[in-house]
Amino acid sequence: MSTKAHDSNHEDHGMGRYVAVFAALLVLTGVTVWTGEMDFGSWNIIIAMVVATIKASLVVLFFMHLWDEGPFNRLIFVVSILFAIVLILFVFGDLMFRIPGLLPPSIQENDIPKILESHHHH
Amino acid sequence: MSSSEAHDSHNPYLAHHFDTMEQQDHAARLGMWLFISTEVLLFAGLFLGYTVYRWMYPNTYQACANLLSIPMGATNTVVLITSSFTAAWAHHCIKINQIKRGLGLLAVTIVFACVFLVVKYFEYSHKFSVGQLPGKWYSFDGLQAPGANLFFAVYFLATGLHGLHVLIGMTVLGIIGYRTIKGRYHGGNHVGVELGVLYWHLVDLVWIFLFPLLYLI
Repeated sequence: MSTKAHDSNHEDHGMGRYVAVFAALLVLTGVTVWTGEMDFGSWNIIIAMVVATIKASLVVLFFMHLWDEGPFNRLIFVVSILFAIVLILFVFGDLMFRIPGLLPPSIQENDIPKILESHHHH
Repeated sequence: MSSSEAHDSHNPYLAHHFDTMEQQDHAARLGMWLFISTEVLLFAGLFLGYTVYRWMYPNTYQACANLLSIPMGATNTVVLITSSFTAAWAHHCIKINQIKRGLGLLAVTIVFACVFLVVKYFEYSHKFSVGQLPGKWYSFDGLQAPGANLFFAVYFLATGLHGLHVLIGMTVLGIIGYRTIKGRYHGGNHVGVELGVLYWHLVDLVWIFLFPLLYLI
């Protein structure tokens, strides 16, 4: 039962890999804050999610060793991500394409926030 | 890892229903990844709630995000990323039998977790004092919008559940430290440290998405 493949993440990649990932995560945090304060319109959310996905992938693959993990454990994690995507896409699809009359009335027209500038942080 | 130990049937760390240490460690990691998958799905529900309400009230969500402090959120992001790094480092040290350094790094990781919670406390207390709260408790005069209380419902549920994970993670790291002091974890038996540290990385992972979604966009 026990093979080398099962134990492959016991191979020691040393601290070098952790340091590199740590540095990349700090740089990407800077990038996401920097781009978050600029106005790209609807691209802001896409940029932020792409950067977050890269950061999360670095954490999962190298801090959490999924890169060196056996295929079964990889499969378990990937399947959970797929189900999360299915959950969000299907509910969101229902929301977008539902008969308009079934949504709460004039919800989008009511979405006009009244802001007092004195309370604003930035 | 030394393979001689793994094949030693008298290894005190090897449970009788496993043939080798490798097999036992493999089973332990499998269980941890199954648990992490349930955690992913737990938080997916909250991200779904965020997505739905953001789609309904895009302008309000943007206005509410502007009420959060980016410096505080960014500080906590750096704190958690650094703590993930020190946790990985701690495991590395225990794995190569640098027990004292490993314990020190576990302590540093727990201190970073405390810093995260202190920053969160200041953020929460500010929101409580100005009435940026979920549902019927929302009483903030500075921003009046039908979806604002929904934003803060998602904010408090998501950051609250994440904060609970920070507390549990700190406890897990503390238990690992205690067991390491007692001599249970070292180069010959460290999968317990590895799994506890995996949980801590999960805490970091969730925050990587919460920070941009709540504070930035």
